[in-house]
Amino acid sequence: MPLTRFLRLLESHGADLRRWPAADAAAARTLLTHSADAQVALQRAAGIEDALRASRALPDAAALERMRAHVARHVARAPLPVRPGPLHWLRPLLPMGGGALAALAACGLWLMLANPVSLDDAGFNAPRQLAMIESTD
Amino acid sequence: MGLAVLLRIKEENHGGPMFLLSLPFTALPGRSETLTPPRTEAQAVLNRDRAAATDEALLGWSATGDRLAFDQLSLRHLPRLYQLAHRITGDAAAAEDVAQEAMLRVWQAAARFDPERAKFGTWLHRIATNLAIDRTRQARHTAPAPDDTLPAPGPSPEQQAVTRQQRDRVAAALQEMPARQRAALALFYDQEMEGAQAAAALSVSTRGLEGLLRRARRFLAGRLED
Repeated sequence: MPLTRFLRLLESHGADLRRWPAADAAAARTLLTHSADAQVALQRAAGIEDALRASRALPDAAALERMRAHVARHVARAPLPVRPGPLHWLRPLLPMGGGALAALAACGLWLMLANPVSLDDAGFNAPRQLAMIESTD
Repeated sequence: MGLAVLLRIKEENHGGPMFLLSLPFTALPGRSETLTPPRTEAQAVLNRDRAAATDEALLGWSATGDRLAFDQLSLRHLPRLYQLAHRITGDAAAAEDVAQEAMLRVWQAAARFDPERAKFGTWLHRIATNLAIDRTRQARHTAPAPDDTLPAPGPSPEQQAVTRQQRDRVAAALQEMPARQRAALALFYDQEMEGAQAAAALSVSTRGLEGLLRRARRFLAGRLED
């Protein structure tokens, strides 16, 4: 493995070779046996990761108890978790305008199933409607 | 008719908070004596071995109203959530808020969690990561408060001084780093998650995670080796 590729992989996967892809790790170990530059780069990366791990923050006992009590207090008052409804699978479609599409489909279905109005129906003829309007004046 | 009976259970050993255990059951119409839950069912719920149960089992019980199971889940995961949030926000108070809020979101969504679609750990970390990143964006213009909650450094005074100095440099470098890169470092190093799992928690591809980690490591190296 060339040094440049090793450095690239070192940046991608970190200094712990056990977390590298197996084939790359094996090639890296071979390179490390004879490349001082690779060894220096690995040690430097490991040093940074050690510093990172050393700066981890864990909650003290009081903070943990405070958080636990806060969660328990809120959960005690909260309603039970809501079970998903029968149409929950539609939810991911909402960002894509799923609601509008569903409304459109419902309208189309309603128009198809509704009784068509016959143009020959005398009750809907324009002259007759005009006559009805005039008769109400 | 569905009813819920609330049983008050007080933790006597530790003087801890009071929890309510909800037991949903069905009453037969016209039978007033069935307003109490079946004794065996209630006893079975009370006798659950919550300490030994898996996260998925605890979440499933929580979804049916078992608040003691949810408390066990909180006890198990709050430290890790705090650690993750602290790494991303760089602030102890914000980390507490994020960890608590993440657990409350888990409670609300407990019944909707599908173990066949995601691992509980990944799901939980995704919730906390998103909350922490949002929190960081909101507080972008406010300087982080000095943090005294970090673990005590090494034993000797010289070693303590070196460790503290190094810790301060890491903390300063992290504060200048984009929140998503901090989140990637937190998931990969602090939470020791596998690449695919960390990528899922960050809602990116594995290659996307590698890119975030690469930029974060390069950034840290540049700052710490100056």
